[in-house]
Amino acid sequence: MTDIVRGSEDISCVSAATNAVSTGAVSVANGANNTTSLLPQEKSLVKLTHIQKSYGNVCVLQSISLHINAGEVVAIIGPSGSGKSTLLRCATLLETFQSGTLAYGDLVVAKNDAHGHAIYAPKSVLKEAKSRFGLVFQSFNLFPHCSVLHNVTDAAIRVQKRNRDEVMTQAHALLAKMGLSGKEKMVPCELSGGQQQRVAIARALALNPSILFFDEPTSALDPELTRDVLKVIRDLAAENMTMAIVTHEMSFARDVADRIIFMEAGVIVEQGTASELINNPQHMRTKTFLSHYA
Amino acid sequence: MDLTLILAMLGEGFLVSLQIFILTLLGSLPLGLLVAFGRMSRIKPLSWLVQIYISIMRGTPLMLQLMVVYYLPYFGFGISISDNYRFIATIIAFVINYAAYFAEIYRSGIQSIPHGQYEAAGVLGYSRSQTFIFIVFLQVVKRILPAVTNEVITLVKDTSLSFVLSVPEMFTTAKAIAAAQKSMIAFAVAGVFYYVFNAIVAFIMNRVEKIMDYYHD
Repeated sequence: MTDIVRGSEDISCVSAATNAVSTGAVSVANGANNTTSLLPQEKSLVKLTHIQKSYGNVCVLQSISLHINAGEVVAIIGPSGSGKSTLLRCATLLETFQSGTLAYGDLVVAKNDAHGHAIYAPKSVLKEAKSRFGLVFQSFNLFPHCSVLHNVTDAAIRVQKRNRDEVMTQAHALLAKMGLSGKEKMVPCELSGGQQQRVAIARALALNPSILFFDEPTSALDPELTRDVLKVIRDLAAENMTMAIVTHEMSFARDVADRIIFMEAGVIVEQGTASELINNPQHMRTKTFLSHYA
Repeated sequence: MDLTLILAMLGEGFLVSLQIFILTLLGSLPLGLLVAFGRMSRIKPLSWLVQIYISIMRGTPLMLQLMVVYYLPYFGFGISISDNYRFIATIIAFVINYAAYFAEIYRSGIQSIPHGQYEAAGVLGYSRSQTFIFIVFLQVVKRILPAVTNEVITLVKDTSLSFVLSVPEMFTTAKAIAAAQKSMIAFAVAGVFYYVFNAIVAFIMNRVEKIMDYYHD
């Protein structure tokens, strides 16, 4: 299995993708079975099906399928350049993919035409989809010229056109939950990295998304600040917030995630429950990767 | 002629210089932003056209541009020009010249905003225009302030170029007084006027920079 996956790097995108379907299908099917058995009645909030993406001749995602159910916490791990972030960026519409289907619940964002090319839905649908997910970046990307409170509330008021008082009340509650009460009037540069990241999480939550994506949320932080951010994510998991987290924090992934996905070279090599995958990886490549964290 | 009279005459000229200065800024600051958008447009022919415009504005003397704008209606199209067109031509020439410089300053500012800002705004659902107006623009202003200050100070001194169209601004007046008096006093006084005015401009811009100092990124 490992050999086939590795070998596929050298082949052109199309044949590699077919390859991935045949090899990846096993793991995808496994994963699907696993999740159905774990969460039998749950409906998928996000469905990414056979996503294929390449930059020029470089194939970054080879027919990847990932369905995330309500209340599920999915951790995506893997070496750098394996396509984890690209997968997240495709799901959050920051990147477009060439082939595959993406749906948020009943809202179809992109699907294949007769030739197998992904066709995206019109802008209004994409806008609607954007209100269903939130994304937390590695580099926070807060608006530096706006106060903490303004960062958290502006999109809800301006984009979602919600009632100002209601948004303010929610924002104060969110900031309190993030341990940031009293920081409302500060600007991001007056906060530590960990505090900034928690503001970013509050900003994403203020739009009431049904799923929250995290792209290496702690990679820019030192261990101490990392702990504060991970605690907030843990609390959200305890409240059954649906989340997909790209991370290098293995122990965190094991503690928090319902399902861990190991990616390499644009395919899902293996996935399973946290204990299954971390304690008993089936694939050579997964074992090698995890051994670095032992 | 005593100093008070010189001061009074130059003061009157200064008011005209001030008008040129204010009207040029009012015209070229917004126009420059439009030009910057044209320059960065994905529509290639538009971008090329704007690049040619900028290169001409920066590549030829402002004094020559003043003459062209003033004489073109008559020599180019046979339209007779009235006397008050002198002032209008001056403003047009200054606005299109300074808009080209401001456009490049805006562009440098806009392109220096980290891509993550656009991505964050996109994910939060802001439209492209909302992203620019509410998220990018204020950050651009902070970044370009020092360069804009430079241009504004240059503009104060450049207003004197309109003497070629005999607009009765301060330098034109100073020249006339100096020629009549066979003395340099008028020039010295005009120099003090320019210097003091620029000191005020620099002070104000410095205050604006201080105000924008409430954050850094």
